[in-house]
Amino acid sequence: MLNQMTQPPENFSKQESKVRVWDIPVRLFHWTLASCFIVAWLTLDNRYLDIHVFAGYLMGGLILFRLLWGFIGSPYARFRNFTFSRLEVWDYLKGVLHRHPPRFLGHNPAGSWAIHLLLGIGLSIIISGLLGFGGEEQQGPLAGWLNYPQGELMLEFHEWLSWLMLVMVIIHLMGVLVESLLHQENLVAAMLTGFKPSAVDAVSSASHWKIGSAMLAIIITVSLFWFQGYLTETPEKRYQPFYGSALPDNLLWREECGACHLAFHPSLLPTRSWKAMMEGQVSHFGEDLFLEQNIVKEIEPFLVKNAAEQEATEAAWKINRSIPKAETLLRITETPYWIKKHQKISDAVWGHPKVNSKVNCAACHIDAEVGTFEDAAMHLPDDIEATAITE
Amino acid sequence: MNRKFIGITALLVVIPLYAQADAVSELEAKYQSQGGGPFSAAAGEALWNKTFIDAKTGKGRNCTTCHTTDQTKSGKHARTGKVIKPMAPSVNPKRLTQAKKIKKWFIRNCKWTLGRKCSAQEKGDVLAFLKSL
Ligand code: HEC
Ligand code: HEC
Ligand code: HEC
Repeated sequence: MLNQMTQPPENFSKQESKVRVWDIPVRLFHWTLASCFIVAWLTLDNRYLDIHVFAGYLMGGLILFRLLWGFIGSPYARFRNFTFSRLEVWDYLKGVLHRHPPRFLGHNPAGSWAIHLLLGIGLSIIISGLLGFGGEEQQGPLAGWLNYPQGELMLEFHEWLSWLMLVMVIIHLMGVLVESLLHQENLVAAMLTGFKPSAVDAVSSASHWKIGSAMLAIIITVSLFWFQGYLTETPEKRYQPFYGSALPDNLLWREECGACHLAFHPSLLPTRSWKAMMEGQVSHFGEDLFLEQNIVKEIEPFLVKNAAEQEATEAAWKINRSIPKAETLLRITETPYWIKKHQKISDAVWGHPKVNSKVNCAACHIDAEVGTFEDAAMHLPDDIEATAITE
Repeated sequence: MNRKFIGITALLVVIPLYAQADAVSELEAKYQSQGGGPFSAAAGEALWNKTFIDAKTGKGRNCTTCHTTDQTKSGKHARTGKVIKPMAPSVNPKRLTQAKKIKKWFIRNCKWTLGRKCSAQEKGDVLAFLKSL
């Protein structure tokens, strides 16, 4: 079969005829995968984590489909028709160097290797992403498989693999360019239309439009389902893509410590800070709290028991490890992690009437009341430009 | 079934009103015993809007700094930006229902706004003003 797909370039100009090489599922796979890859690179900022994760899920689904299609799809899509030995790749590359490589209707040997690699790296990216997401964010199907530090490590690997994939994509693009030039044919157009000029007797693929439509329908349905929250949100009730597991709560604490400002969840500061704060309640940042002893006796243990050391959230873990052990900070807004996360925010934003102060966490974090501070739950007030925080 | 529903609704409406009358009259009696009274809503309103200069910052402060000038609307804490629910019991029936809470906030807010404790007379006047809203 392979021989049928291999033709010297001289042949096809004589016998003009078109052959469908890429069926609809392959083309849909190709362009959607490429879009996902671009979107994933554009959504590295925590704020867009839900979009990034969606691009990842979609990519994973597409790759799994492609693996299956490699066994049951149309001829040019089947792995056994684009599996080449190292020698064949070498010969092909030598042909390229001499500006006279053989023409393949389907994937050429070098391109085939690139595709196998891209699929393998892509799948590793998805798996490491899922593990990292389950570890550092404690979210997704693998939530809890890894702890925070392991999750963080996994995400570093995820990033490293993504760079590798970017390099592979660039090589792939150069390959497409070189082959298009050498054979005087537009391979990009072929991936769009599915057709390539060829001799009459070459195998043509079916369009498989039914499977293609089903794929498209699934992609659209799943996207609508994933992003539906944005369609139904209101300015009062913002859509929050990810919810952390419920944090410990206490009514008295909420009432007493949530009157003048947000009730800052105990997980945002370590034990020593809370102890010092309750000790110094008569001069609480310039206020005398006048809390009676029986109130202190209930609130203090609640604060201490759920302090940052418990690592109930990613923020708790990161805040706690950022504070030098010898220091007892009373402000969340003075912890190195908090400062680092908010350093791009300008004074104009802090002074904005809807923000007012650094301690008004709820102005920008949808889940400030619950205390989870999920990555994608950050939402600046509507009249503040997003550019105000990206320098 | 229906009667029961009306009964429960009526209770839910009435209980806070009672609690409010209770808490306020309890405090009024206390302030009277401390030499205050009779209390005037007008004097309370005047105090509510009066500006005191803070010795340290040199800036003016009054009760409306956090509670706004319209007590049927939400205010905003001057230092933290946190929303403070309306003070008028007519729109926020939970207001003035707990004597303990009122006492505590008088201590805190008088100290911050006036830089001193409020007198029994002043507190009674403010209550007379607030409960009329
Ligand atoms: C009477 C009002 C009031 C009450 C009640 C109160 N606080 Fe505060 N708190 C403040 C003010 C004012 C600040 C300083 C805000 C600023 O400078 O922006 C503050 C700051 C803080 C901060 C530091 C915020 C930061 O990261 O900069 C923490 C933590 C805090 N309070 C915890 C508590 C706890 C715990 C309780 C309950 C025991 C409590 N507060 C009750 C008024 C209050
Ligand atoms: C002016 C808006 C604003 C306020 C107010 C604010 N933050 Fe943030 N916060 C941000 C932005 C912007 C980020 C960065 C988000 C990102 O990395 O994409 C952030 C990030 C964070 C993060 C890291 C998780 C994440 O979403 O990336 C934590 C934790 C956090 N903030 C806690 C707080 C706490 C606690 C307070 C109140 C003491 C607070 N923030 C007040 C805007 C704000
Ligand atoms: C620095 C901000 C601030 C200022 C200034 C301030 N208050 Fe308040 N006040 C608060 C907060 C916060 C609460 C608690 C709000 C809540 O429970 O929703 C409160 C509650 C109260 C309550 C209790 C209401 C209830 O729920 O029963 C009274 C009474 C009160 N304030 C009176 C005053 C008076 C009188 C002044 C001026 C002398 C004043 N406040 C100035 C912040 C302030």
